[in-house]
Amino acid sequence: MSRGKLKVFLGFAPGVGKTYAMLEQGHRLRSEGRDVVIGFVEPHERAETAAMIGDLELIPRRSMTYAESVFEEMDLDGILARNPEVALVDELAHTNVPGSRNTKRWQDVDELLDSGIDVLSSVNIQHLDSLNDVIFEITDILQRETIPDEVVRKAAEIELVDLTQEGVRERLAAGKIYPAERIDAAMANYFRSGNLGALRELALSWTADRVEEAVAKYRELHGIAHPWETKERVVVALAGAEGAEGVIRRAARLAMRSRADLVGVYVRPTHGLAEETSPSLSVQRELLQDLGGRYHEVVGDDPGNAVLAFAREENATQIVLGASRRSRFDELLRGSPTAKVIRNSDAIDVHVISYEGAHRPSRHFRPRHHKPISRLRLGIAWGIAIIGLPLITWVLRSVRGQVELNNVQLIYLLAAVVAGGVGGALPAAATAVAAFLLANWYFTPPQETWAIGSPDDLFSLFAFLVVSLAVGLLVGYSSRRSADARKARAQAEALAATTSLGHPVYESDRQGLLRRVRDVLALEAVSILRRVSDGWETLAWDGSRELSTPGEGSEVIDLTEEVVMVILDGRLSADDRIVLRAFAAQIVQAMKREELEREAESAGSMAETDRLRTALLGAVSHDLRTPLATIKASLTSLVETGLEWTPEETKSFLRTALDETERLNRLVGQLLDASRVQVGAVHVFYRPVGLEEVVAAALAGLDSSRDRLIVDISESLAEVQTDPVLLERVVANLVENALTWSPSDQAVRVSAGEVAGRIDLRISDRGPGIPPQARDTVFQPFQRLGDSPNREGVGLGLAVARGLLEAMGNELVIEDTPGGGTTMVIGLKIAGPIEMPVDAGVISG
Amino acid sequence: MAEEARILIVDDEPQIVRALSINLKALGYRIDTAATGEEALRIAAEHRPDAVILDLGLPGIDGKEVIRGLRGWTKIPIIVLSVRDAEREKIEALNAGADDYMTKPFGMGELVARLRAALRREADPGEDLPVVETPHFVIDLATKRVSLPDGEEIRLTPTEWGIVDMLVRHRGKLVTQTQLLKEVWGPEYGRETNYLRVFMAQLRRKLEPQPGTPRYFITEPGMGYRFQLPTE
Repeated sequence: MSRGKLKVFLGFAPGVGKTYAMLEQGHRLRSEGRDVVIGFVEPHERAETAAMIGDLELIPRRSMTYAESVFEEMDLDGILARNPEVALVDELAHTNVPGSRNTKRWQDVDELLDSGIDVLSSVNIQHLDSLNDVIFEITDILQRETIPDEVVRKAAEIELVDLTQEGVRERLAAGKIYPAERIDAAMANYFRSGNLGALRELALSWTADRVEEAVAKYRELHGIAHPWETKERVVVALAGAEGAEGVIRRAARLAMRSRADLVGVYVRPTHGLAEETSPSLSVQRELLQDLGGRYHEVVGDDPGNAVLAFAREENATQIVLGASRRSRFDELLRGSPTAKVIRNSDAIDVHVISYEGAHRPSRHFRPRHHKPISRLRLGIAWGIAIIGLPLITWVLRSVRGQVELNNVQLIYLLAAVVAGGVGGALPAAATAVAAFLLANWYFTPPQETWAIGSPDDLFSLFAFLVVSLAVGLLVGYSSRRSADARKARAQAEALAATTSLGHPVYESDRQGLLRRVRDVLALEAVSILRRVSDGWETLAWDGSRELSTPGEGSEVIDLTEEVVMVILDGRLSADDRIVLRAFAAQIVQAMKREELEREAESAGSMAETDRLRTALLGAVSHDLRTPLATIKASLTSLVETGLEWTPEETKSFLRTALDETERLNRLVGQLLDASRVQVGAVHVFYRPVGLEEVVAAALAGLDSSRDRLIVDISESLAEVQTDPVLLERVVANLVENALTWSPSDQAVRVSAGEVAGRIDLRISDRGPGIPPQARDTVFQPFQRLGDSPNREGVGLGLAVARGLLEAMGNELVIEDTPGGGTTMVIGLKIAGPIEMPVDAGVISG
Repeated sequence: MAEEARILIVDDEPQIVRALSINLKALGYRIDTAATGEEALRIAAEHRPDAVILDLGLPGIDGKEVIRGLRGWTKIPIIVLSVRDAEREKIEALNAGADDYMTKPFGMGELVARLRAALRREADPGEDLPVVETPHFVIDLATKRVSLPDGEEIRLTPTEWGIVDMLVRHRGKLVTQTQLLKEVWGPEYGRETNYLRVFMAQLRRKLEPQPGTPRYFITEPGMGYRFQLPTE
């Protein structure tokens, strides 16, 4: 009895619709005539889901008593006894009540699979073992119900049930997930949008293309040692044999079923580098790409080992081979590649598929049709034959008597070799024959007759003919071979370049891809266009001019339903087309990756926002409560205890309450500013004002630290155009921050000066300084470097300062204080030309 | 006389009204209260208070309307209370005729000082001109002399003296930029705020112990100046 197949519906949160999707498939399978039962489905009082159960047969649950409570569990033996074809089992990660046969439900499911029952099940991403700590970091909830990754990974099929995080929240708000009384709490906790975003990102990571990179990064970030492979790969070996298309289709189905990547590989023998590709291989390559597969070529003389090596490099989990039809003799002689692959495949599954059609790998290649040698080269070669030979003959005749016949023949041979090298075999042969005749006529005694005197000469002359023909032809042939090899190498390099373009692929890489296409194929221009409602939008282009509609090009290649590649060039060989198609596939993948990247990014930024919000709440509740607690303690001492306090004690309590009130007031002010900045509700009221006045007002609140401040602002500076009240708060925040970080024996310096048409206000401390890479993050809320808990404030000072400045249209720049420390520089606009008043008298009356 | 003055408190927050009433009554003032602008105008007309403490954010007609209503028939000092971030409102209130402002939350000591300054009759030129003594300088309005505590005279230019004279006469009160310019430079002035900056800076260099962080000649940025004795 073969083991049953497991299909897992994977979700990123409760309520995305896993159970619903599972039930839906249950109905579908039953309508296909399969015997489907519900082993265990928990509709969680969700009406839609409960309705979906419909008339599917339910195996009654088993009641179990534990710790004086009654639990309902899946009746494993009941299902085994019923022995259906397919069983639906919800919540794969569920932990059974103690006393059950297995501790975990997935072990129950394992038993079902062992007895040949196919199982549809559901699980949420947070239950996966390897993600446990990551999920904990995101949600702060420790998942106790976990499930080994292998269980899910080994499933025949994993279906990601996806929904946007907003979709989930909408469903939650509409009461479709939890009863009304639990909605608010759920919204604020687990179902925070950022939370969901992060979980969804994780779930997408599992299924998205190129997940390995993201996962590796994630692992690095979170120090997860156990590697988890999330994406399977099916490698299909292409032999170029006729009729093997069925093998590729089969491989594609396999890949689709396990949501794996499909990769085709053709092993090109080293001696066949320049050979034309067989027509069936071209067809198969196109088919492979149509089915969503990637095509690769590797070079090797041992196909079996080459395929295996490739599969390992690709981390493939399955290899698909066509059944070899070699003769038994051949197999004995060279060993069967299929047998070799199977023997050495280790952990990789090997599928051998037989197919109808030709019974041997096609050796019947299309007659070679090389690109003709250029007209110029042909011209030169024939020029050597028609003009060069008479010229050589004339020169040789003028020095006749001084040159031996052998040397004459060598010089003619040289001409034939050069003609062959430049123009190929035909000019070489013609030159050889003509040279033979010329040598006979002019240089072989008796001269100027076809007769040949001595047998020696006869022999040497015919030897010359044979040698010059052979050498000329050989040189012609090999020069063409080397040109072919060069071309093949160029194409291989181009393909390698396209496939090795890492992720993420951004705009510039797409441009790079296009440029490469154009270079390799010597196209005049190439564009990628997207169909929009009223015509075409150019996504990228390269070349002599932009082709802005498909009509402007000579050829149009569909990349997706909406996107086409337009090229301008008349002559493309079959090889060129293959290269072009490979590029096209790569560009499509690049675009898909971009899309996925964007999606993952937005989910990521959501999580970041949420992190900030959580930090804010934490900081605020702590920092507001502390002074409130002190105030309450002080005042209740006076009012509630009924004790008699001395006037001094009373005063001391009141003084404490007052100080804390002041602290609270500052905090509330800062929070108000921060929230105004955040929602963009800062009202700016510009007035011309003297900077020294604003600074003086800002410093008035810092009585205790006044002797640590050096203020150097001339009143003869022009007035600045600003909101004095907002600027006062900015300066107060910055100075306070500077005082905090400066050692207590070092002064903070506030100075201003005119620079390039504006006025820079500089606040310099002698603190530890801020490294350049941290200069952006210090302005984020709650980002005090090396935070110490007893410092006052919620770490909003710098964030507020920058936010207010931005609202006023001013810049805040961090510089180093010469000699150590940080200088905050505010650039302010000059209000207008300053007109100095005239004071006539000098002495008071 | 000041201690028998009648004060009208206008605020819709009963807690604030209660706290203010208790304090001011304890200081000997007679107190009326109102929770809306309409009520405030009616009570003011009936009881003729000597000063008004007025919250700007009132239900019904707002604080600025109340100021305009009062200014229609009386010059009594009006101190407005406003929350932070209502700068424009504050300035509009001053333009409408308010004398001074306090930002909520405020300290009772400061409010009482402002109220006393507002109630203090402006020093009448010619008689009983005050001499202001501080640990750092002595200003004698009658003889127009400024000197160090040891008696050494500090020389001021006529314009500087004009500013000192104006601010010290209104000791503790806010003097707006426009008021200062019109008084010292002349009625055709009013917008030349940079004049004020320059002269205030010169003055501070001559009189303030730390000109960068003044403690007597205080600037309310964008609004005006205040001469203040640290004890008040």
